[in-house]
Amino acid sequence: MCLLRFAASYRKPLVAERIAVRDGGAPAWGVEWTCDMDEQIRQATRHWTLAQPVVSAFILSLVRDFSARDDVLQETAVAVIESFDRYQPDRPFVAWALGIAQNQVRLYVRRQHRERLVFDDALVAQLAQVFETLPSEPRTALGYLRECLGHLENKARELCELRYGRDLRPAEIADTVGMSANAVAKALQRIRDQLRACIERKSVVEGSSL
Amino acid sequence: MTSGSPEQIWRYLDGEMSADEESQFQEWLRASSDNAREFAQITLLHDRLRTEHLLDAVVSSAAHESAATAVVVRRRSRPLAFLGSLAAAGAVLLLLWLGIGRTTVSAASELDRLLRAQSQGPDKTYEITVERVAAPSPRHTERDQEHRPPKPSIDGALLHIRQGNQFVLVRQLPNGQQFLTGCNGQVSWAIRPEGPVRVSQDLSRFNRDVPGHEQGMPLFDVEHDLEQLRTAYDVQLLPVENGDDAASEQEPTRLIVAVKKRGYRGPQRVEIAYAVRSGRIHQWRFVDMPYGPERLTLRLTLTDEAHLGPAFFDHATHHAPDRTIAEE
Repeated sequence: MCLLRFAASYRKPLVAERIAVRDGGAPAWGVEWTCDMDEQIRQATRHWTLAQPVVSAFILSLVRDFSARDDVLQETAVAVIESFDRYQPDRPFVAWALGIAQNQVRLYVRRQHRERLVFDDALVAQLAQVFETLPSEPRTALGYLRECLGHLENKARELCELRYGRDLRPAEIADTVGMSANAVAKALQRIRDQLRACIERKSVVEGSSL
Repeated sequence: MTSGSPEQIWRYLDGEMSADEESQFQEWLRASSDNAREFAQITLLHDRLRTEHLLDAVVSSAAHESAATAVVVRRRSRPLAFLGSLAAAGAVLLLLWLGIGRTTVSAASELDRLLRAQSQGPDKTYEITVERVAAPSPRHTERDQEHRPPKPSIDGALLHIRQGNQFVLVRQLPNGQQFLTGCNGQVSWAIRPEGPVRVSQDLSRFNRDVPGHEQGMPLFDVEHDLEQLRTAYDVQLLPVENGDDAASEQEPTRLIVAVKKRGYRGPQRVEIAYAVRSGRIHQWRFVDMPYGPERLTLRLTLTDEAHLGPAFFDHATHHAPDRTIAEE
């Protein structure tokens, strides 16, 4: 497998430079290897693209905060690509990526001086296994989510936008919409149950085995 | 209700549990792999809900986004399209890593450079365009109907700014007359078409007419706004391709996208398009910025850079000499 190492002076290679290297020229943009970068990237992209939703949800299950999830997910993506040369293809990629994600979550918590995670290490490892072995059907069925969101009434859509678009917690939403925090939490509960039911219904009717 | 019902899973994910409840919840997860699987499936939905809403935000600002994001915009509602959006998300991450490097670092240094660039140069004039107005919350509506007259529209207003928090905001009223608000660094003032010219030693007295003041990001204080981005926002640096405005024809431009971190106040998202070489900002875009009872998405487009003269920010320059002055 090719090594993918970048010198400190790395910059994005120009197309002409990449063609020159592919044709046998020396790299001039701070990359230390000479094998086919495109193939390496293609493989990494293919694996990461399929694994990313599960890794993202796993990270979120631990940190709960959306912006923390974004930070850790980005760091995980970089770590996955940087160490892709150490990935052994006979091992499931998702399991490998989830291992990296666990380390990145720990690093993040330490770096940000955040409160400890709710779950202990043993439970985190157990959850990683569960996420890794989730069947693909429920994930595929989530493709109906957008359609189901479209069926929500205006008020429900607004609450969803405040929770998921603006990343507000129920108590903060309550302040914005003039409801009690408990009423917001209950309303969100109903909306999400409704969305789950809608997704299930659609996957049964239209068949989710794509 | 058991410690692991779907309701409790949502409460955990929303951060609404007490420490005791969290401890019970942990035990419930540990107790059976079915419980853990239920939790994982709900978390997948929770995560996907966030992604869908972020994609909506991307769609609304698609004009500023990269081609990779545009792939996401064109997705269909069938589940097969899910794979497409995943591919795009993965591609975006890879592009960020390969093309821009560690964006956090480079964006931070770019913010420093922009900050230095803004502290030099002549006065600036921006045109304000309101893209979207979100309906005010019922609570705000009641409060504002009781206490405040409606503000003149900010759409189409001109904002002239100079170092030292000096500004003149010119808004058009429906009858074609102008309503001016300003500050010369010594007094702040407001000039309605009729009635006395109001002047105050309190420099912040009339800056509520300028969007952003509610959450410490007034549009006339560009340097402060850039500082605010550094502390309260996750900042990414993107390339701007095919800029179609006059400024980007002259020299390459880049886009900084800043998304507000949790726990901070301010617009949800700020985008800055600027000239790469000079650091000259030619457009700001603020998404979901409070303005009175409303939340606006608005753009500031640089229309002129010129020294406006020593007295331009004084109120006397903008009204007839015989107008009554009311000091407040």
